[in-house]
Formats: sequence, structure tokens, C-alpha cells
Amino acid sequence: MASISPPVHQQRRARLRRVLTDLPLSIGISVLLACFISLVTGRFLENMLVSVLIGIVAFTIVYGGRLLFIKRPVWRKREWAMFAALAVLAAPVAHFTGLYTAGLLLGIRTPTLAEYPSADRISMIVFTFLGTTLMVVLIRNRERMRRAQEEQAAAHLRAQIIERQALQAQLRLLQAQIEPHMLFNTLANLQGLIALDPVRASDMLDQLIQYLRATLSVSRSETTTLEQEFAAMGAYLGLMGVRMGERLRYRLDLPPTLRTARLPTMLLQPLVENAIVHGVEPKVDGGEITISAQIDGDSVAIEVRDTGLGLDHAHARHGGGIGMTTSRERLAALYGERATLTLNPAQPQGTLARLTLPLEFDR
Amino acid sequence: MTRALIAEDEPILAATLARTLQTLWPDLDIVATAPNGLVAVEQALALRPDVLFLDIRMPGQTGLEVAEELAERWEGPAPFPHIVFVTAFDDYAVQAFEHAAFDYVLKPVSSARLGKTVERLRASLETRTALAPDALGQLLGQLQALAPRAAPSERLTTIRAAVGNAVRMIPVPDVVYFQAIDKYVNVVTADAEALIRVPLKELLPQLDSAQFRQVSRSTVVNMGCVTSAVRDDMGKVLLTLRGRPEKPRVSPVYAHLFRQM
Repeated sequence: MASISPPVHQQRRARLRRVLTDLPLSIGISVLLACFISLVTGRFLENMLVSVLIGIVAFTIVYGGRLLFIKRPVWRKREWAMFAALAVLAAPVAHFTGLYTAGLLLGIRTPTLAEYPSADRISMIVFTFLGTTLMVVLIRNRERMRRAQEEQAAAHLRAQIIERQALQAQLRLLQAQIEPHMLFNTLANLQGLIALDPVRASDMLDQLIQYLRATLSVSRSETTTLEQEFAAMGAYLGLMGVRMGERLRYRLDLPPTLRTARLPTMLLQPLVENAIVHGVEPKVDGGEITISAQIDGDSVAIEVRDTGLGLDHAHARHGGGIGMTTSRERLAALYGERATLTLNPAQPQGTLARLTLPLEFDR
Repeated sequence: MTRALIAEDEPILAATLARTLQTLWPDLDIVATAPNGLVAVEQALALRPDVLFLDIRMPGQTGLEVAEELAERWEGPAPFPHIVFVTAFDDYAVQAFEHAAFDYVLKPVSSARLGKTVERLRASLETRTALAPDALGQLLGQLQALAPRAAPSERLTTIRAAVGNAVRMIPVPDVVYFQAIDKYVNVVTADAEALIRVPLKELLPQLDSAQFRQVSRSTVVNMGCVTSAVRDDMGKVLLTLRGRPEKPRVSPVYAHLFRQM
């Protein structure tokens, strides 16, 4: 945001608008001070005119100096010192000029420069200085509030954008839940096993039910535990193991301490499915998939490692790329920069997907 | 006795298909079951079966690629086998099969549906109306037409090829033909050649299908540069290209592209 500034003429117009809104404020202060002086000395109208004129001159000097010399929106010591110098300079000049002009307008005699150094005049100059300070402090406050409002509006907008992205990601997620090809192939295997080996068929049906339950219930819950997620992935790999026979070997490694760690639903599954669909399944000799989780500082690191074809061969079929993008968008919406998802070549072959999340436990 | 080959990477599905076929067609001899596309091609060429049951999604080579390669390499007295594609769920493939002369079966395979396929195969084998490679070529053409292609905006306009330390920019319309060599593709223009490390399979969808046509498994030619197609004594079709001395061979599967009007 900081690198892009609006065109010069727009900046000028914005400045003019600020002057026009701040000027009435300074006149208001002048009126207030005039009322105060009148309470002490009387002569209300005269005091009013003098005070407003002094106020306008002081405003012009301080504001003009500020526009010329103080560029930074946030004031530090240096800016306040510059302002104080301006106010000290402005007070006598404004007082003299304002009083002189009022004298010309009202046709009354005003003190000359030589008559100025008297206790009375100096106290009035100090009074002007205080008025000027009050004006600047109020204007500064008003600006700070305005900037806070702008920042709030920008933050609100950002939140809305993130929310919309998260919704879109959720939608894509629901669309990509179960690939028909996977489902029909699994059913075909089940149909075959019923005739060949009814006991194994029954086991396979159990795994299919567990997998479908975990996958289809996603829309109903936001988060799950690592134990549940590992069980669902165990069921999925069990199904794929029946289908692929000796071509698929797999291992799941979840330390007991991490069983109740929470994670968003449908983050692990696309990684494991990618490892199958793009890694091991298209490889003639098949391969091994290892899913593991461990504590890494105040994060949990989940790894899906396969010895399949590797990233060179992965062409974006059946939404493999889209799946990763969806996961990254969801992570960004949920955790910002506290979560990461990386995909790297594994040694000696295959792919290593690594997901890190802030460690949170089920209560 | 009719001889069949099954190509299917999932062992239970292969066993189930074999079993069901055995009941529906007792005198069918299943000579081999191939676990992937590469083995399927070699076994089919060695055993010369009458019928092939090809799974579409297989490791190594897809069923479609197996059919294509066989059409190219099939020689000798044995007629080209009847091919039945077996697929779980491939929208575009199913659409193509609906309109093609070839048969397909959906997984999970229903016994009744497979029964009809068996009937059709028997009738066809009795009359020996072998399916010409031409028909296969048209089927593959249809499949390729239905497969996702890059929109005109995503089409490749320039090939960036590394030559030593430099990268040469070759405008795609200047390319006379592309030749696949292992994982590389040789990009051939009228006056130069350059290797790029992109498989032909990935390059093809990014080319304008009206201008660049596949004429064999390893060759894609710029149709605008073809001056003639000549059939030699062996019945093979060879292309003459403008600006190049090579004469690429046309696979029988794609010979229909160069037939007279």
C-alpha cells in the first residue's frame, strides 16, 4: 500500500479539503477564546473580531508551515519541536497582525510595535500561543481519528476478501471431495471380491464406509483430530491397498501425544490422494506412502512422503494443482503466516508434502 | 478357439473380468493378463490375441496409448485385434465410444452388459470383419478432439529452446515438425533444429490442432508444410515436407488424414 501514492492533483485536492475542514475548527477555538476574554474585559464584538482574525493568521502560519515542512503523517519529537517553533513564531505575528487588521476595520487605534513589549501584551501573546497549541492538538487528534477510521475500513475490507476466498475454497473443497473414478473403481473391486473372497469383501466395505463417513461429514464440521484424520487416511489407504495389491505399501505413524491435536478437516486427505494419484498409482512398480506427525516447537508438522513418480511427472490432471491452491488459501485464511504447506522432491525419489500448523489440542 | 488378452492394473478387477468372461464365453482362452500398458503392448505383439480388453487408466501407458502403439507396430498375417475398452469413469471417453465402432464396458462391469459385448465380438469374429486401423484412427481422433485443449489464448506462440548458453526463440508457425526423442522433443524448422525438454504429450495440447497434426506416435507435423504423401512398396505412407529433406512416416492410424478427397 505504501508504495503506491495517488496522483499529485488528487493529493492536492485532499489537502485543500483538509484545510477547509480544519479552518472552521480553528475559528471555533477563536470564538471560544473571545468569549472567555469578554467575560473578563467586556466589549464582546470587538474581542470576537480580533480573536477570529488572530486565529486565522495563526492558522495560516502554522498550517502553511506544516504543509511545507512536516511531511510525515506520524509526529515524533522532531515534528513536535518544529511545530512548537512555528507556534512560538506565529503567536506574536498573529497577535500583532490580527489586532492591527481589526483596528483598521473598526477604526480604532491599536498598539504600535514599539508599544508591544509590555506585560499586558506579552500575556496576550502567551494566550495566543496557548490558543494556537490547542488548535493544533485538536487538529492532530481529529486526523488521528480519521486515520484510525481509514485503517479500520481497510482492515474490514481485507477481512471481507479473506472471508470470501475462504468461502470459495470451501466450495471447491466440497466439489472435489470424492472423485467418481475412485468411487467406481472401488465399487468394481468390491463387486469382484464378493465372489472371490467374501471375508475380505466385508473388510473392504467397512473401510469404504469409514472413508465415506470421514469425507462426506466435512461439510458439517470445521475441525477434526489427528486421530480421526489418520483413521480416515488408514481406511483410504486400505481401500487403495486392496485395489493396487502389492504395488502399494503404506505406513501411518502418529505419536500417542498428538492423538487429540486439532486440525481443519480435509487438509490431509488431498495430500494423501495426490501421493496416490500423481505419485504411486501411475508408477509401474508402485511405491510406498508414509504419513507421520510430530511436534515441532509450538507447531505440529505432518508429513506425507511417497516414493512415486515425483514432481517432474505430475501433470495437473484431476485438479491436483487446484487442490494445493485450495489448501493454501484455507490455511492462510485460518492461520495467516503461522501455517505452511510445502511440496518438495523426496530423497531418493518421490514427493514430500509437509504441513505445519499451530499446535492446538481438543478440550 | 478365440484368444484374449486383459490389460488391467488392479489385480482383483483383472481376476473378476477373467472370471466373468469365462462364464459368459467358455471357449475363450485368456492368454495373458498384463498389469500395465507397457507389458500389454509387448504381450499383445508376442501373443497376437484376437481380442484385447484394455483398461484406460493404467500406469506406464494408458489403454488409448496401448491401442495407438499397437496400431503402429502391428504387422504380419494376424488381423488387428478387436479392442474393448474398460473404464470406471471417463466422461469424455464414454462420449467418444458412444459414437465409435468400438465397444466399451463400464466398471463395475455388469454381467448383462458384458454378455452383449461378448455376443457382438463372437458375431464379428465369425464373419472375420476385422476392424481396420482406420476406424481406430478415427476413434483416437475423436478422443483427442474431446480431450481438453488449450484455448486460443493459452496456445503456445513461441518455443524457447536452450542452445548452449543462449535461449533461442522459435515462432511456432515456423516449425516444420516436432519429433519426440525419449523425454525430449526435437523442434525442426526449415533451417535449424533444437531440443526442448518437454514431452510431446504435454506439448500437443498447446498447439493449434488445425495446423499441427500428429501423424505417428513420435511425430507432429505442420500441415501447412506438407507438400505430398506417398505410399511406398510396403504400403507405408511417407510425407514430403517443404524445406526439409526428411520423410516422416505416417502411422496407419493416421493415414486417413492424407487420403485423396
